[in-house]
Amino acid sequence: MTSSLKTRRRKEKWFRRMGFLSLCLALLFLGGILGKIVYTGYPAFFRTEVAAQAERPDLLNVHARYFLKENKKWITASDDVDMYYKHEVVGNLTPHQIQAIDSLKNQGQIRLVFNTGFFTHSDSREPELAGIWGGLIGSLLTLFVTFCTAFPIGIGTALYLEEFAPKNRFTNWVEANINNLAAVPSILFGLLGLVFFIHFLGLPRPSALVGGLTLGLMSLPVIVVATRAALSSVPPTLKEAALGLGATPLQVLFHHVVPMAMPGIMTGVILSLARALGETAPLLMIGMVAFIATPPSTFLDPTTVLPVQIFNWSRSSEMGFVENTSGAILVLLIVLAILNGIAIFIRKKFES
Amino acid sequence: MPLKIDVKDLNLFYGDKQALFNVSLGFPEFQTTALMGPSGCGKSSLLRCLNRLNDIIPNVHIQGKVLLDKEDIYAPSLDVVELRTHVGMVFQKPNPFPHSIYENVAYGPRIHTLFKDKTELDEIVEKNLARAGLWDEVKDRLHQPATRLSGGQQQRLCIARAIAVNPEVILMDEPCSALDPIATARVEELIDELRERFTIVIVTHNLQQAARVSQQTAFFHSGHLVEAGETGALFTMPQDERTQGYITGRYG
Ligand SMILES: Nc1ncnc2c1ncn2[C@@H]1O[C@H](COP(=O)(O)OP(=O)(O)O)[C@@H](O)[C@H]1O
Ligand SMILES: [Mg+2]
Repeated sequence: MTSSLKTRRRKEKWFRRMGFLSLCLALLFLGGILGKIVYTGYPAFFRTEVAAQAERPDLLNVHARYFLKENKKWITASDDVDMYYKHEVVGNLTPHQIQAIDSLKNQGQIRLVFNTGFFTHSDSREPELAGIWGGLIGSLLTLFVTFCTAFPIGIGTALYLEEFAPKNRFTNWVEANINNLAAVPSILFGLLGLVFFIHFLGLPRPSALVGGLTLGLMSLPVIVVATRAALSSVPPTLKEAALGLGATPLQVLFHHVVPMAMPGIMTGVILSLARALGETAPLLMIGMVAFIATPPSTFLDPTTVLPVQIFNWSRSSEMGFVENTSGAILVLLIVLAILNGIAIFIRKKFES
Repeated sequence: MPLKIDVKDLNLFYGDKQALFNVSLGFPEFQTTALMGPSGCGKSSLLRCLNRLNDIIPNVHIQGKVLLDKEDIYAPSLDVVELRTHVGMVFQKPNPFPHSIYENVAYGPRIHTLFKDKTELDEIVEKNLARAGLWDEVKDRLHQPATRLSGGQQQRLCIARAIAVNPEVILMDEPCSALDPIATARVEELIDELRERFTIVIVTHNLQQAARVSQQTAFFHSGHLVEAGETGALFTMPQDERTQGYITGRYG
């Protein structure tokens, strides 16, 4: 009796230690990855500028002359200078250029400033000019299309299956398939989008419309599963209470079931949108890999999204783009963290 | 006493499984009828036939007749939603909506538009909370969540909610089984008062409770109605040995 108690205690201790150890390991990896990204990415938010002065101020208009004399005009340096100034990486610079930079440094004629262009510029071949604006706008438009298609169709499907569909072999089969679809690798949805939206419907290839529809296909099963879980967690006693008062099934649904399930539904929708926001593979599949230097202004314009832009930058060997890649990943992570935060907030708020 | 509800040769099946066998039982108007019997004998099933709440369970199927004021409630022409405004229900576990106390009582009148303006709705809410003996306890916090009330208060709120749509019959499925003795006494008192205006059918496991609140008792066993009669007579001189066994505590 006592000996068995001892072994049980020992086992429990051992189990707890293993759990703690794996938690530490997970935190270590997470910290390592995040640390590395922040370390490489944060210089992307800064830009090197060189003070420019006119050779012959006497030839300039009086205002310009005054401007250049009294205030230095700061101009963005080339990416090589940027890299040398930030990290002392020589790169393609000649010894003569390096000397020039060093002397500028001594005279205070070179400086680091916050790189607003990283947020307001679109993609560029030059790393010091490239920004994430185009990708952000593209992601926004694409996500909007995803939301507008997956949300109503997903909720409608879930409501029908959960509340109205007769329980027969056909609906069981549909349910099983939706559950399986939620676990299908995302690249297969890209394949489906390619065949259906581009080859069959002939929609313009790298557009927010096609991207959004493809991601909508991907999000649909996840939204259906999450919504059904939220609907079925509404206590049946509440439905019976309302029915017992003479409410019609539709009134029961919209007065009681849907409002109670709403936090769960919203959490599921936001999380699936967050997943769609970070998705790359299906978009590559439908050809959203092009280099696009202007942000899209309609849903049919050539579009790139943030994760695809990150993917494109990561394939470049220039040091400036390595930095930009990590910087853009940081931005993407922050946006995802905000979305997840909203989901958690909604859940917490309605739980009480 | 005329019969408010008359059940005739009722058979009920959950799929292939029969839960009620040829049940025939009359419920006199303005009286309380207690349904008793061991767990699983079909008391709740019978109760839920009376407001057709069994309709929502898939594969339920029913033979026989249930007459409410001599009208068959299973006739195809009958409107289930209207039936449920005449036959209200109180459940085993208090199940207030997760809204305010006020909104709980107001919900029924709202969906059936039983009032002209806000003042009239206020009156309806007050009147029914008062009838359920809850008004004095909650009048200062009508707009607080109903879920913050105690179990006994929640159950009386559910009764107020049920009577706010002016039903003629109230069905109660073990309404006190989740309550402490003091709250139970309170609800029992209420049931006795409500009998003046409503016909009540109550499922209970508690002999004392049945004796206190009911005028007629029906005893069930594995889906069969064993015997029914005036409560006092049934308890003192049960005709069937199964009833006798239940009453003397041989099984339950
Ligand atoms: N929804 C249902 N589906 C299948 N069988 C049920 C269902 N509800 C009740 N039953 C069965 O019907 C019988 C009577 O149940 P019930 O009316 O709940 O009994 P009681 O209320 O007297 O305890 C039981 O055998 C129970 O298992
Ligand atoms: Mg029961």
